[in-house]
Amino acid sequence: MDVTRREFLKCAAASSALMAIGGPLAFAATEQPVDKWVKGVCRFCGTGCGVMVGVKNKQAVTVKGDPNNHNGGFLCLKGALMTPIIYAKERLTQPLIRKNGELVEASWDEALDLTASKFKDAIKKDGPRSVAYYGSGQALTEETYLASKIFKAGLKSNNVEGNPRLCMASAVGGYVTTYGKDEPCGSFSDIDAATCFFLIGTNTSECHPILFKRIAARKQSDPNVKVIVVDPRKTNTARIADIHVGFVPGTDLAIMNAMAYVIIQEELDDYRFHSRYVSFMDNKKNKLTFEDYKKFLEDYTPEKAEKLSGVPAATIRKIAKIFAESSATMSMWCMGLNQRIRGVWANNLVSNLHLLTGQIGKPGATPFSLTGQPNACGGVRDTGGLSHLLPAGRLIKKKKHRNEVEFLWGMEPDSLNPKPGYHTIALFDALGKGKVKALLILCTNPAQSLPNVNKYREAMARKDNFIAVIECFRDAETLKFADVVFPAAFWCEREGVYGCSERRYALIGKAIDPPGQARPSVNILVDLAKRIGVDPKLVPFKDSSDIWEEWRRVAKSTPYNFWGITRDRLRKESGILWPCPTEDHPGTEIRYVRGKDPNIPKDYPKKYDFYGKPDHRAVIWFRPYKGAAEEPDKEYPFVLTTGRVIDHWHTGTMTMKVPELRRSFPKAYVEINDKDAKKMGIRNGDNVLLTTRRDKMVFQARVSDVCRPGLVFVPWFDVNLMINKLTKDAFDPGSKQPEFKICATKVSKV
Amino acid sequence: MRSFSSIWFRWGKWFFIIPLAGIVVLGIISVIYIKLAFPETRCEFATHLESPDAAADCFECHLKCTPKIAQDWYESKHGVILVKCFVCHGQPDGKGSVPYAVDPDVDGTCRKCHDPSINRMEHLYGLELNCNKCHPFHQNSLHHKAYVKPIAKKKIE
Repeated sequence: MDVTRREFLKCAAASSALMAIGGPLAFAATEQPVDKWVKGVCRFCGTGCGVMVGVKNKQAVTVKGDPNNHNGGFLCLKGALMTPIIYAKERLTQPLIRKNGELVEASWDEALDLTASKFKDAIKKDGPRSVAYYGSGQALTEETYLASKIFKAGLKSNNVEGNPRLCMASAVGGYVTTYGKDEPCGSFSDIDAATCFFLIGTNTSECHPILFKRIAARKQSDPNVKVIVVDPRKTNTARIADIHVGFVPGTDLAIMNAMAYVIIQEELDDYRFHSRYVSFMDNKKNKLTFEDYKKFLEDYTPEKAEKLSGVPAATIRKIAKIFAESSATMSMWCMGLNQRIRGVWANNLVSNLHLLTGQIGKPGATPFSLTGQPNACGGVRDTGGLSHLLPAGRLIKKKKHRNEVEFLWGMEPDSLNPKPGYHTIALFDALGKGKVKALLILCTNPAQSLPNVNKYREAMARKDNFIAVIECFRDAETLKFADVVFPAAFWCEREGVYGCSERRYALIGKAIDPPGQARPSVNILVDLAKRIGVDPKLVPFKDSSDIWEEWRRVAKSTPYNFWGITRDRLRKESGILWPCPTEDHPGTEIRYVRGKDPNIPKDYPKKYDFYGKPDHRAVIWFRPYKGAAEEPDKEYPFVLTTGRVIDHWHTGTMTMKVPELRRSFPKAYVEINDKDAKKMGIRNGDNVLLTTRRDKMVFQARVSDVCRPGLVFVPWFDVNLMINKLTKDAFDPGSKQPEFKICATKVSKV
Repeated sequence: MRSFSSIWFRWGKWFFIIPLAGIVVLGIISVIYIKLAFPETRCEFATHLESPDAAADCFECHLKCTPKIAQDWYESKHGVILVKCFVCHGQPDGKGSVPYAVDPDVDGTCRKCHDPSINRMEHLYGLELNCNKCHPFHQNSLHHKAYVKPIAKKKIE
């Protein structure tokens, strides 16, 4: 082909002109106009980012961050890739009943009647303690409140538990013992004002990415902001840290006591604050003095802590000084402190540091517990979805509280069961012993998420018990043990309220219809309750908004005041922080401070008021160092810890449906320190056998310097490599939360 | 003067063969180099699309085959907060939920997180197909090397 120079130039000019106008044209072509944006909250972690769902032709086609919520329009990688989950082929669309060992499709009436008859039989034969509910920190606030009411008031069974027991029970224990009331006193907005971040037992970067982004942005805006990361693993969170403190797993209690020692010794404590607002107590609840506290801390000099924890005494001194001297220190912690047999103590110790230095109740200065699930902090803790709780911070064992709730629920006085129910581990234990005959599971996957899960899978597999599961996905592991499965509406397929880590409640709007015959869980629960024979006056609810109205009434007279958070406001605003007593109240960012917390009278004579305690003083607890339930020894020389990767969430029933996320981490692996690996001749990608006293399993090795020597890490999302078969089910005697984070293991190359 | 077509007829095939041979030789050398230089890591570089189920951990391999791009990402804000490659670029075999693209689609991808900024930019500069044009890809790190292109430095009036 002969092409003249002139022709060539002509062509080039024409094509560049095309390219130039191609911009806006192509823009118009790729534009995805959506019919409407529906405001909601992310389905994943406890950060609770606002999400807008883009709906086109009655299908959810895309998402974007809600610019008016605390995340300012940003989403993490999981949040941004959420839409494929809704249309996964594994979605359940019809009720299932187990017949001859197989789950077969059935009608709603059949499934509901069968479940109701099994629950009725169990109550008739073995009393109300033989039926139980196991819920979730991912269920809606309304669902948890309703289930708790059906079981506690309708069936007189206090066996109402949920996976938050595995997730934040120790944080509840910590807040209640120190301040008298649950839930953090600060909010996410403190991140923008803090000048020091003390991150302990949290991999914020992978588990709460948007909060990590906010911390990173804060550090970028002011280079003097200090970030201290205390974690046996050098995770991505440590990338922005000024100091990363790696320590022997389990010795963080000693480190925090040593920090308190340094703070007092170097006179960095705020005597004015703690002499007025703090009382000192030992483990036996004896009231002691500041001098006693000093004496108690003499066992925890930095040098002694160094011997235990492997952290140089100089480092402990340094971080204690930064913590105390900064103008506003914000602590954040998560499962690293909570999932421990001394989880409550560890929580107390963080608060101790804040109370000692007065780093509390000022913008940026707060002890802030992060939660893992989108509605664990809100729905379950506040509405009383655990076996010892009643709504709004009331306790089952207190007669006054029971009578209040009986009055609010229109029941006879003294008709509630005064005996708290089984906590989670005890519940599944009782299931294995045949004491619990009928169990209803909502929105969670215990066959994968319980510690030492083999034992509890056996319990669930017993032929003589009945398990009904309300679930969205047919591949959830728990369905293998279900006798009846109800298909539930997912995330934005029904309306409801989530409450995230910072006491913020926000509404998930209904964007699309559920597939097939799937129904909102609220309707399933109401229908089931009526068929079991619960007084219809107890469950007069058509949908979740009716339940919300009742919940506001039940919480009104307590410090958990939701009266101002009306459904209409939730529909308009992107989340409101309780306490919020009136409809024109903007919500509360800082608690326990006069003028900020609406629970404190305006003319209260002092600045702070810890009204949760009878003497209005928060407590500095004398919590000694105590090791893990299963420390490494000669036979099992390594510490095994478990956790999340950023790509996956919990048991992977949702994130495994997104092709990008599934491929990013198709299966679990074991992370080993490079020095340990070299000693054992393990290279990247080799197969490694982990053996604990409970089970053994082969994983592919990832050799890096993330874990410290002597520590191995395995993520727990993988259903085929279930690390919870290896973990230990020892639990905190106070909070009953199991110790997922530490057990002893053997590591060998295969 | 001999015509263009006769030269083409005689020597034309070599215009293809020589560069092709060069590409093949360079390819072999780079594969050998990667195999020898990184013995500790098992790179799936050579089998990119053959094992798609391991293809989404892009960073591991691209650190070796396109180290500059991988390092840019690692140092960027997206790298620090772990917004991984596939969130914006999709999957090489196109089977992901995000369309596979070098320049992410503004509406379908960038807007998921940057809707307020895109609206602001649109108001100031009009519609723009490609955010990369002014905001250099993978830049704006926490160590701040951002906004090196002049158009982004233009003062807003």
